[in-house]
Amino acid sequence: MHRRNIVRAGAALLALGMSMPALTAGALAQDAPVEITMLTMGNKPTNGRLEAMLEKLNELLVAKANAKLDLFYIEWADWQTQYNVQLLSGDDNVDLIGTATDWLYAWENAEKGAFLPLPPEMLQANAPKTWAQVEADGHWDLTKLADGKIYFMPEDNYTQYTNHGFFYRGDWAREAGFENGEITRFEDFTKYFEWVKANKPDAYPWDVAGANEAALTGYIQGHTDMHPIWGLSAGNYFPFHTSAAAPYTVTSWYMEGDALVEAAKLAKQWNEIGVWREDALNFDGETREELYAALSGTDQHHTQTFINDIVNNMNTKQPGSDPKFFYWGKENGNFFKDIFTHGAMAVSAYSKNPEKALQVYDLIRNDKEIYMLFNFGIEGTDYVITADGKLGRPEGWDQSTMDLGTDYWWGRTDEFELPRTTQAPNRAEIIAELDATAKEYPYSTLLINKQAIDPTLAAMSGVLSEYIPQLQYGKFDDPAAAVAEMRQKLKDVGYEDARASIQADMDAWKAARGL
Amino acid sequence: MSRNGTSQARKSLLRQLADSKVLLLMCVPAIVFFVIFNYAPLPGAWIAFTNFNYRDGIFGSPFVGLRNFEFLIKSGQLWLLTRNTILYNLAFIILGNILQIAIAIMLNEIRSTFFKKISQAAMFLPFFISAVLVGVIAFNLLNYDTGAINALIRQTGGDPIKIYSTAGAWPLIIIMVHLWQSTGYGSIVYFAAIMGIDRSLYEAATVDGASAWQRIRYVTLPSLKPTFIILVLFSLGGIMHGNFGLFWNLVGNNASLFQTTDIIETSVYRMVLSQNNFTTSTAVGLYQSLFGFALVMTANWIVRRINKDYALF
Repeated sequence: MHRRNIVRAGAALLALGMSMPALTAGALAQDAPVEITMLTMGNKPTNGRLEAMLEKLNELLVAKANAKLDLFYIEWADWQTQYNVQLLSGDDNVDLIGTATDWLYAWENAEKGAFLPLPPEMLQANAPKTWAQVEADGHWDLTKLADGKIYFMPEDNYTQYTNHGFFYRGDWAREAGFENGEITRFEDFTKYFEWVKANKPDAYPWDVAGANEAALTGYIQGHTDMHPIWGLSAGNYFPFHTSAAAPYTVTSWYMEGDALVEAAKLAKQWNEIGVWREDALNFDGETREELYAALSGTDQHHTQTFINDIVNNMNTKQPGSDPKFFYWGKENGNFFKDIFTHGAMAVSAYSKNPEKALQVYDLIRNDKEIYMLFNFGIEGTDYVITADGKLGRPEGWDQSTMDLGTDYWWGRTDEFELPRTTQAPNRAEIIAELDATAKEYPYSTLLINKQAIDPTLAAMSGVLSEYIPQLQYGKFDDPAAAVAEMRQKLKDVGYEDARASIQADMDAWKAARGL
Repeated sequence: MSRNGTSQARKSLLRQLADSKVLLLMCVPAIVFFVIFNYAPLPGAWIAFTNFNYRDGIFGSPFVGLRNFEFLIKSGQLWLLTRNTILYNLAFIILGNILQIAIAIMLNEIRSTFFKKISQAAMFLPFFISAVLVGVIAFNLLNYDTGAINALIRQTGGDPIKIYSTAGAWPLIIIMVHLWQSTGYGSIVYFAAIMGIDRSLYEAATVDGASAWQRIRYVTLPSLKPTFIILVLFSLGGIMHGNFGLFWNLVGNNASLFQTTDIIETSVYRMVLSQNNFTTSTAVGLYQSLFGFALVMTANWIVRRINKDYALF
């Protein structure tokens, strides 16, 4: 008995002793800066510039919010899976999560409970400037699920165009017979490609790598009034569309109309010319570098890339090449402005310090000093402000070895963005031209019940991944027959049921808005 | 009586454990490995039958029955994929084991230690080459525009071959690459088994005037039989699991080859990629594992019927 009491007393003493350091640490933690981790998409830089910037940034963050920031990168290799697995794992080490509704599964992850709902009071108290700006622009509705709660903060104060198209060389186009080197219709690229093939033996007319469907979408967008419903993907494809003529009728250009067959026939013609490598689907090279090295006459990506990278690089590496951009839908104005949730920031449902995370985000988004530091680095080392007020790089700065690599796309603001010395000099004109014709994307708030159609989407993805790459590279002897076969298979796996289910969501959404 | 018997059995089990504690200790890392990575996650397979969400977790999420298996059947690909996966694995298992045995025997016959070590290392090396590199090497050998093989054909005045659009050639290419990568590694086990064969058997055979070939035929091969059967039984369990890295890096998105090269892993990867849906992939994994499990049990049962000593359990 006596012995048992001694054991009990000892155990109590031990427990007390063990809890003491915890108590002390808890008391101290009140004063210690809170560590906030932000999940971002991109390859983690290893050149030391990021760390140097973070050190300075954290001094500011400690002073202004008693917090410190660290970045957690989801790298580009297999990013779709990696991103969702990271959110699925419920890691409480991540506080802020970069997201997007059209390409980064914001709705699904909000529905699955990965994001913390953000009550207005919480936003007003901890991210007052963000709250006020988004509220004034009336954009909070773009971030709510059916439960009426806010799940993320939109990057709604930043002008960008991520509409895709061809980058090509004005000097070559001029020689090929295009006035001012301007190509104005998608099918006219045949003439350009033929000229490159005949006159530039070292270059592929369009060196393109791996699976994509640019040759098909580029044609269809310019020859129909149809447009994909973003965020509704089957594998790498967006298989459901609407048209300008019937904006609330769900259809699919993979299933309806002749445009796909016409596009596939053009692709077959291009394949026969030798526009791309015979084995382009298995090729895995850096095609942009090929363009810079005059080994390719064309490359494909979006306006932002053209303005920020292509013009400057081509002018430096291929002087006189007169880089130009032909975007899909240029012929008929069938393209859209970026939606305000193409980038957004959510707070993790597992964050231990959601309030502090919001405070840090509010500073990054709205405090000019912090914004500049976080996005561009240390003035003098990472960037300089030129005499004419542009953002430039110091002498000897090399993007490939000294890039900061913050990869912050979750709340930039036009207010703090300076024109850059490396940007296309006619950036303003390009944006103005796009602004004049680009349409507003109407379905930002349309929520699709994907649970109901997931098995069908997966099966459709299987069919599309079998046919689209071959159609894109003109590999079928009879494209029309191949399209007919694909359409039958899509029907067999339940396309019509999925379409009907999405149509029901669309009808409900339309009715709720009185459209 | 029976109670006495049980306690005796228990005692003898304890005694057995105590007697082999060093052996058991050596097994501990492997046991821990399998418990952590193979047994502990087993209950998680439940996710295949749920509509998973983060809030409710694996066991709280709503039960949806077999809905996550639906897309496999819907896609109409299940038969083609199952067939391709099994045929490739059969080829890997059969050809692989035959080659491994042949190599092990040849190594055993080599008298020069130096040459033996060099050839072993040379054959072992491809095992360590990542599938990504293998894909790149294959592309640079086989592609139409710049590939080494076609460059050679052009140099000699022939017509280049479009290997990347010839579906019929790929089973051969994939099997050859797989064997090139795995034979050296696999032959080690057989080589070790040969080392373990009682030398007096060979001496007796030599005394009886057996030729080298006869020694192989009547001593080595029969002695390798148990090892062979065990290895085949093990590999049967994985017959529904394809070598994703190899297939994906060699074929990738090249749909014109899918008819002969698409296996369960690559097809499912393309289907559920970007679907943000882990339940469907778990469902596929479960289907593969259950199939493999059934196959091992059946094969083991058959082996037991023929010769109890060769069975796994």
